[in-house]
Amino acid sequence: MSSADFVALLPLIVLGATAIVVMMSIAFRRSHALASTLTLVGLAVAFWSLWPAAGEVPRQVTPLLVIDRFALYYFGLIIAATFAVVLMSYGYLERHDVRREEFYVLLLVAALGSAVLVSSDHFISFFLGLEILSVTLYALSAYLTERGIALEAGMKYLVLAAASAAFLLFGMALVYAETGTMSFPQLASDFAAGGAAHLWVLAGIAFMVTGFGFKLAVVPFHLWTPDVYQGAPAPVTAFVASVSKGAMFAILLRFFYQSGSRDLHATLLIFGIIAIASMIAGNLMALFQNNVKRILAYSSIAHLGYLLVAFEAGGLFGAAAGTFYLTAYMITTLGAFGVIAVLSASGRDAEDIEDYRGLFWRRPGLATVFTVMLFSLAGIPLTAGFLGKFYTVAAGTNSSIWVLIFVLVATSVIGLFYYLRVVVALFATEHIPSDAERPLPVVPAMGGVTLGVLALALIWLGVYPHVILHAIQSAMSGIF
Amino acid sequence: MFHLLWLVPAIPFASAALLLIFGPRMSHRMAGFLGCASIGLSALISILITWRFIALPPPGGNYTQYLWTWMNVAGFHPDIALYLDTLSLIMVLVVTFVSFFIHVYSVEYMHGDEGFSRFFGYMNLFVASMVVLLLGNNLLLLYLGWEGVGLCSYLLIGFWYTEPKNSLAARKAFIVTRVGDTAMALGLFLLFDKLGTLTIQPMMHAAQLQWPHGSVYATAAGLLLLGGACGKSAQLPLQTWLPDAMAGPTPTSALIHAATMVTAGVYLIARTHVIFQLAPTAQLAVAVVGAVTLVAAGFAAVTQDDIKRILAYSTVSQIGYMFLGLGVGAWTAAIFHFMTHAFFKALLFLASGMVITSMHHEQNIFKMGGLRKKLPLTYWAFVIGGCSLAGLPLVTAGFYSKGLILWGALSSPVGSTWLWIFGVVGVFMTSLYIFRLIFITFHGECQKEPSHRPGWLMGVPVIVLSTLAIVGGFVELPSYLGNHPWFTNFLQSSLPATIEAHHPLMSELGAEGWAVLAFFLGLGGAWYLFLRHREVPEALAAKGLGRALHRWWYTDWGMDWLYDRLFVRPVGWFSRTNKTDAVDLIYTGTAALTRAGWASLRLTETGRVRWYATALVLGTVIFVLIVALL
Amino acid sequence: MNLWPFVLYAALVLITAGSMIGLSAILGERHKERFTNQPYEGGILSEGTARARFSIKFYMMAMFFVVFDLESVFLYSWAVAARDLGWVGYWEALIFIGVLVAALVYLWRLGALDWSPDTRRKTR
Repeated sequence: MSSADFVALLPLIVLGATAIVVMMSIAFRRSHALASTLTLVGLAVAFWSLWPAAGEVPRQVTPLLVIDRFALYYFGLIIAATFAVVLMSYGYLERHDVRREEFYVLLLVAALGSAVLVSSDHFISFFLGLEILSVTLYALSAYLTERGIALEAGMKYLVLAAASAAFLLFGMALVYAETGTMSFPQLASDFAAGGAAHLWVLAGIAFMVTGFGFKLAVVPFHLWTPDVYQGAPAPVTAFVASVSKGAMFAILLRFFYQSGSRDLHATLLIFGIIAIASMIAGNLMALFQNNVKRILAYSSIAHLGYLLVAFEAGGLFGAAAGTFYLTAYMITTLGAFGVIAVLSASGRDAEDIEDYRGLFWRRPGLATVFTVMLFSLAGIPLTAGFLGKFYTVAAGTNSSIWVLIFVLVATSVIGLFYYLRVVVALFATEHIPSDAERPLPVVPAMGGVTLGVLALALIWLGVYPHVILHAIQSAMSGIF
Repeated sequence: MFHLLWLVPAIPFASAALLLIFGPRMSHRMAGFLGCASIGLSALISILITWRFIALPPPGGNYTQYLWTWMNVAGFHPDIALYLDTLSLIMVLVVTFVSFFIHVYSVEYMHGDEGFSRFFGYMNLFVASMVVLLLGNNLLLLYLGWEGVGLCSYLLIGFWYTEPKNSLAARKAFIVTRVGDTAMALGLFLLFDKLGTLTIQPMMHAAQLQWPHGSVYATAAGLLLLGGACGKSAQLPLQTWLPDAMAGPTPTSALIHAATMVTAGVYLIARTHVIFQLAPTAQLAVAVVGAVTLVAAGFAAVTQDDIKRILAYSTVSQIGYMFLGLGVGAWTAAIFHFMTHAFFKALLFLASGMVITSMHHEQNIFKMGGLRKKLPLTYWAFVIGGCSLAGLPLVTAGFYSKGLILWGALSSPVGSTWLWIFGVVGVFMTSLYIFRLIFITFHGECQKEPSHRPGWLMGVPVIVLSTLAIVGGFVELPSYLGNHPWFTNFLQSSLPATIEAHHPLMSELGAEGWAVLAFFLGLGGAWYLFLRHREVPEALAAKGLGRALHRWWYTDWGMDWLYDRLFVRPVGWFSRTNKTDAVDLIYTGTAALTRAGWASLRLTETGRVRWYATALVLGTVIFVLIVALL
Repeated sequence: MNLWPFVLYAALVLITAGSMIGLSAILGERHKERFTNQPYEGGILSEGTARARFSIKFYMMAMFFVVFDLESVFLYSWAVAARDLGWVGYWEALIFIGVLVAALVYLWRLGALDWSPDTRRKTR
């Protein structure tokens, strides 16, 4: 391993090392402030290390990992999102009577798993990253052990994720059995030579779709989403919805683009069906839902459907549109769950739509942030969500996938209904619950600032997307 | 220096945001200071830019400040960029400068009003939008500004919204201008579709290259743009909203509905003058609209009794002159008249605001009288403004600008004697109604004691504008007065020169003589009818034909009545009969369908892990089958 | 390609499994007497619920075993090729052991190695 390899791997190494350092600090001095500060410092250093790493890309480090601009872009996203999650977790955990410090160790390991995932171009590292991520997420989902619903969420996630991982593994095995290789570039050359037409390969890919689909929570692998979103603590839900899905989408792009299996007729058909079903089911199921966390869960199903439209569109444009959409979506999700996190008292999370009735008159700042987030989810202009959707539709029209575009537009309209339902509740002037009925906790300073920054980032992206678009364009060099 | 350009809209916008968000928690002092200071800064920057522009013009006579690209998709890449040439420079300078004084004036005028900070927020937002409209280098920004000023106009007309009348007036303004806006939007779409770019200058260039003289597209685009201009600038047949717009606070009327926003139509036509040069029909339409409007509004103004309505019709009439100028190809003359009009009309409105506040919000001129001694400053402001408006020869700004337009109407190859005659009749009418206003309000017997004299915050802007209403005209001296067309030369780089052909019958001086004669006839008529023998007009309007005509003109040629019968009632009738809307079924049907979808899909969410796992397996099996069977 | 062998094989699997269960269900005797569900003769009679609760230490033990077992598996495979892998391999093995030691220290400090209940410190 040369020093250049070492520099390229620096973000991963820093993440891993930070996890151990935080664990050691807990062993010798249990302090919430210390653990969270060390975590933030570690994440900041990891983010900084992207720049030296950028000097060494693209670089194949061992047969398992490839560090290229694509991986680095997603590293940046993952690290930044984890940073935001840590900031909003601090205040959230302070209100709960649990062992708080280990939360950060788990979070760091989950971030490490995601980072491995986005930089893997080999089945082994793919599966390794996925499992590192999943195992920590089981624990994180059930972190608030005094809550039955959290245990339930963790348990469901564990059982179903394990089942889906088995399918993924089986699919990989089938592909390997036929082609004799597990590395994406070699698969590409094998497929190009006609190996893709083989039934085992096709069946293998179909099985792998289950693994992808489960983590992305798309129909018909989506049923766990609302239960887990609702049960898990709000910051964990934010992480599951943003980082874990983001990393999974990245590896989806990388695997299917790099191995050339995206262009298979079967792949396009399956993902087309999944996209349509997800857009319709996600949006319809959210319609009259009264639990905000579940609304966001259903909405995430729909959004992943939109993302798959970008995937279906294909080409550089489709991949770039998808990545931009995902970036916007990650910010939005973090913001929305962040609002829930800062509003949640110790007993239960603020997830009932009634908790938000007239919030604008009680906490105008939070309500404004939440409104911006919802507008972005709904795709209203001047937010990043609008541009993301716009690019996706543009990419779709470029590739003439009219059915998907039509479903996207039609279901977006349906989606508007339930986003606006929440907005209406936020600005309601009647039946506003008093402080005695529904007490509002004090908004923690760090959480509040984080939310403000997220909202500004969202509008900044919506009005001035230049910088990010440029970064995404160059990041796409990794998979083309 | 030019790189400061973006600050001109940015500062008022930022301050508007501050005022609208934190306004309720701000002291009035603070809000007033913020509102004025932001516009003051903007005005200062535009003065600096003008100075720099004159001292050291940028290459090519224009400067583009490219800020960023909003989005870039498939050839559609609207830039956020500002375009500065002499035309937009003059407009921005006048807008920010006049706005500043009106803001200062408003501090006193709006003193103690509940919505003090809201008022300044809207006004600042207006200035920001107006500047964006003027400086935008592409049609998208222009449209953004256009809609922005429309919104502010709506908000300010209905500023005292607790009064239903005001809200109705605001609504009317919004709806009527919307008719024009629709036409304009269609025009813009047509231009974008046929010429393939949104940026104005390349678009004009492309039009020149692609379209032959008299092309159908150019004519259609020109007429559609004219429609938009008519709506915004209150020209026939869309002028009916402006007199009602006087429901807003008087500084609003001065700024938006006299000096700046209503001239946006003039700016639009001047900006796209290439299209109109290619389409003689459309250009002639501009001239005819202007000529007819200026006379029609003059008649309406003579019969009004509300001081602000008289000024409103006068505005309509004066913008008619600008349209006439544009229509006959006297581009610079129209912009010149825009500038002088901004000075003297803002002055007249501010002065009328003084009268109204000191008369306990009485606006009927027949309930005033003899205010000359009580409010000397206001009186002189009115005299100066009125003389400039009507065009008192040699000393007032209005004389020079209007003279230029009239000479253009007569001498330009696209002009005609008829258009000129309309213009001269307009001069007579202007002189008649404005001196009627002055004589009735300030002379005669005192009917009501004014409560107080206006303070210096209202006084200083009026004095400054009075000065400008006089000296503002000396930037362009006609041929018979030494021939120093500095203004025209300055605008040369952005607007084509007026083509002057020699008229077979008249010289420029001779034509000017007729206008002067019309002015004095009007003045004399006003003196005779409304100062010496007030019983004469009363007798005339009391019976028979005179009464009918008075009524007809008083209601602005019955336009409101006509529109009420033609559009409002049929639409009202239609919506009443169609209460249980058949079309609605589509929407309720869709809603029911989605609700049914929700109801059936929610059954899948059972909460049981074994069913979730089953679904997972089923999904996999289906996909594997699809793959295997294909 | 020829799918037949696969289809046949799958069918045979289904038929075999189905017939084993199906035939015994059809042909088998059915009793419903008092001791039908009791273990036969030599078996021990069951007592109490199947959901017995074990002390956490059993799980601890199991987990420690897995951890150290895996460690030895990895180190074994490294040891076989240690010379080929050279110093890089050596350092990697060292990091691996280091991480495990860190985890062990953590567990130790947490009190996971304190065997009897009374010596266990309250860490919370």
